[in-house]
Amino acid sequence: MKLAKWTVGLMAGMSMLALAAQANAGEVRVTVAEYSAKTGPYFNDVKKEFEAANPGITVKFEVVPWDVLLQKLTTDITAGTNADLSIIGTRWLIDFVQQDVAEPLDSYITPEFKDRFIETFLKPSIMEGKTYGLPIAASARAMYYNKELFEKAGIAKPPATWTELQEDARKIKALGSGTFGFGMQGKEIETDVYYYYAMWSYGTEILNKDGTSGLSTPGALEAAKLYKSMIDEGLTEPGVTSNNREDVQNLFKQGKIGMMITAPFLSNQIKEEAPNLKYGVAAIPAGPTGARGTYGVTDSIIMFKNSKNKDEAWKLLDFLFIKEQRAKFTQGEGFLPVNKEEAKMDYYVNNADLAAFTSLLPDARFAPVIPGWEEIAQITSDAMQKIYLGNSEPEAALKEAAEKANAVLKK
Amino acid sequence: MQNRILPYLLTLPSLFLAAVVIFWPVWDLIQISTHDVNRFGQLRDFNGFANYYAFLADPDFLAALWRTALWTVLVVCGALLLSVPVALILNTDFYGRGIARVIIMLPWAVSLTMTAVVWRWALNGESGMLNSALMAVGVIDQNIQWLSRAGTAFPMQVLIGILVTVPFTTTIFLGGLSSIPDDLYEAAALEGATPLQQFSEITFPLLKPFINIAIVLNTIYVFNSFPIIWVMTQGGPANSTDILVTHLYKLAFRIGKLGEASAVSLLMFAILLIFTMIYVRLAMREQRA
Amino acid sequence: MRNGKLKRSIIAWLLLAPLIVVTIFPFAVMLLTAVKPRQEVLSPTWWPSEFRWSNFADMWVATGFGQALANSLYVSGIATVGAILISVPAAYAMSRFRFAGYGTFRQFLLVSQMISPIVLVLGLFRLMAAWGLIESTTALGVIYMAFNVAFTVWMLQSYFDTIARDLEEAAWMEGAGRWQTLRKVFLPLCVPAIAVTAIFTFINAWNEFVVALTMLRSQESYTLPIQVFSLVAGRYTIEWHHVMAATLLATLPVAILFTWLQRYLVRGLALGAVK
Repeated sequence: MKLAKWTVGLMAGMSMLALAAQANAGEVRVTVAEYSAKTGPYFNDVKKEFEAANPGITVKFEVVPWDVLLQKLTTDITAGTNADLSIIGTRWLIDFVQQDVAEPLDSYITPEFKDRFIETFLKPSIMEGKTYGLPIAASARAMYYNKELFEKAGIAKPPATWTELQEDARKIKALGSGTFGFGMQGKEIETDVYYYYAMWSYGTEILNKDGTSGLSTPGALEAAKLYKSMIDEGLTEPGVTSNNREDVQNLFKQGKIGMMITAPFLSNQIKEEAPNLKYGVAAIPAGPTGARGTYGVTDSIIMFKNSKNKDEAWKLLDFLFIKEQRAKFTQGEGFLPVNKEEAKMDYYVNNADLAAFTSLLPDARFAPVIPGWEEIAQITSDAMQKIYLGNSEPEAALKEAAEKANAVLKK
Repeated sequence: MQNRILPYLLTLPSLFLAAVVIFWPVWDLIQISTHDVNRFGQLRDFNGFANYYAFLADPDFLAALWRTALWTVLVVCGALLLSVPVALILNTDFYGRGIARVIIMLPWAVSLTMTAVVWRWALNGESGMLNSALMAVGVIDQNIQWLSRAGTAFPMQVLIGILVTVPFTTTIFLGGLSSIPDDLYEAAALEGATPLQQFSEITFPLLKPFINIAIVLNTIYVFNSFPIIWVMTQGGPANSTDILVTHLYKLAFRIGKLGEASAVSLLMFAILLIFTMIYVRLAMREQRA
Repeated sequence: MRNGKLKRSIIAWLLLAPLIVVTIFPFAVMLLTAVKPRQEVLSPTWWPSEFRWSNFADMWVATGFGQALANSLYVSGIATVGAILISVPAAYAMSRFRFAGYGTFRQFLLVSQMISPIVLVLGLFRLMAAWGLIESTTALGVIYMAFNVAFTVWMLQSYFDTIARDLEEAAWMEGAGRWQTLRKVFLPLCVPAIAVTAIFTFINAWNEFVVALTMLRSQESYTLPIQVFSLVAGRYTIEWHHVMAATLLATLPVAILFTWLQRYLVRGLALGAVK
């Protein structure tokens, strides 16, 4: 008897909790990705300022670690408990659009609003003529090099081509004492992208013109062989497949690496963690024909179709994309400006590091807008790891990967 | 009368709780695994067993299956072989026993995810503290890139797996040992039994039910264990340290094939079910004999 | 006699030494990294140039450690107390009664352990969402309770089986009722098993990650593992000294709990008490 009562009590308790958890009207919930320790405090400030300017609307930011963002969104959407707005990787957007989860924003966007954005960064969020997201964070990749090591090795200027890069790497390697020429990433997210830098400069694109995978082209093979030969020659850091982007960046901050390709936020980190490091930023090396490419990335903030507070949510979006807010966010996190007015600010104009990035933008490729892109990225990364480890010859590995990728593309 | 209902009343709450967290999600899984589902788990058409055929043809899956078996056997056996003597030592009366017990238990006090994060940090090839420690002691003369190849990464993961399983196993055994009355040993000592005889005649038989619990539960936990491998290598490089759970996670949350992922998880469930049924039956028969 | 114990102690410590070294290694890494000044964190030297104990205080503020600590204590407390309250009667029934469905129940409990939380999480989340329980730390505690019931019942039952019935029967002979016998004779004998059970449940709840990550969505309700994890998961730069300090600090409550409860894990204590 007693226990039965207890069970009843438990059920009653649960339903009471259920009542307490009902969402309030006029509340805008936003899932945001945590880029750095500054992300949470930034959005806290946004909440305060926005709520003060818009009485009656409350905002709730839910800061989610990047690595689990997609997982959280999946579970939330599955259960129908997603927020009103969310930051997502723009490369995922097509899934959201195809599954009819994302709300097109065109009815809200005025020409004036649209004009705030730099075209290059807004474009990836536009699908089938409709704007489904706004670029909240944008970055590109360029080459960082260690000026001190260059000087010691007697190298006058950063390499313009991959051949020069190899030579410079040899000179830096010859310095000995635990210094490595070229930092190569071989683990986790963007392992495939690190390979594309070389692939693009050999004139191969991720997708051929006919929509098949570019991995089986001669250019792709040349690029893979180039990387593999650099690993074999000891021009990279040892254990490439155990180093993700952060690991390579850490080696760079310690002054152990001559050159590496990464995103603008490394500058901010160096300022805080290794203020004495002398470094420069240069273009990504070109291939034999002068072709080169960098990777452009944006994260978009999207509105969910099932949101009940769309007008309030739009007000918040409008607020997030005014120049002052953008500048605060972008500078704190070390991204590139997406807002035209913002880009004219002194901070960006007089910044040599950022100039190197923005000058590469015409060569920027964004992740192709195809369903199954994550799977193809995974296939490519796996193939690269096999090649780097020497488990598989470049030809065989690339051929296999191209077949797998084509199978995904056909679906 | 009272005695007939009472046991059911006493077991009801635990049954209820266990059922709620199990039945519903499993039902959900079966639904998803036999349907065509979209990226966000919304069901579309029933597609029979297409999801099951899809992964059975996948060589990565088969490799992961085999590796999961290896991983489970190595970690469970390693932890068991280490924990029995450790528990016996910790059960004898010696100076500083309390401290020793707390130290042995420490790995358990850190969440697996964080343990894995710390080890990954320590195993870093160029700035890892394990390499610098080994170098200082003179065991190695150049940095080992622990996580760059499955050949060094996987054994390390197994070792860490054992290390974090030992505290739990030892604690079970300590609980079990504490139920053995002292007088049994006193009587045995009077009859002139050697310590080894005491172990095989008294300790081991009485410890057996606890060993069985440890084997069954550890097998289940280790088989399903995610953080160590995920944090350190994400199953890489090139899927060479993938076990079923990490494979499943990539399928579900990275690539978005929820249907296939559900099918994999039901298969994992079936494997564990068959294993435990066989084991429990064998263990029970032995106990009865 | 005293000499014997000394000898025994030396042998015991020597035998345990290798395991202790390996066990302590990650903690040494944590401690030394936690007190390094930021610029030195990345270098593989063991000894920092100075001990920055203030890193702990910085971390406490920067990561909202206090709130997460309170949440973790709350969730683990509910799980532990609840699991014991629920499983002691069940284990008692299984040990002292023969009833139809006994075997099925026992196997069902085991089956309930077989699915990885990662797999369960999707269904569980939908269930909790349907009841509007997302973000509730209390509900999280109840889920942990449910996860651990199987182990606690099994463990307690195995232990109860080793307690001779004659003690209880003797008490009945003397005219004590079932409840009184239970309280005065039986439960005191079970202290070690209850201690193990409590440690087990508490630690599992304390460290649980996947379910907490899915169910909780704001800093105010995050438990420690989630809070610490969010310091490393996909941020563009990781403040390793904070991560290590937080991890180290998060182990303390468990270590204290274990120090306290391990006294009950002593052979003969149970029987000695009634002799």
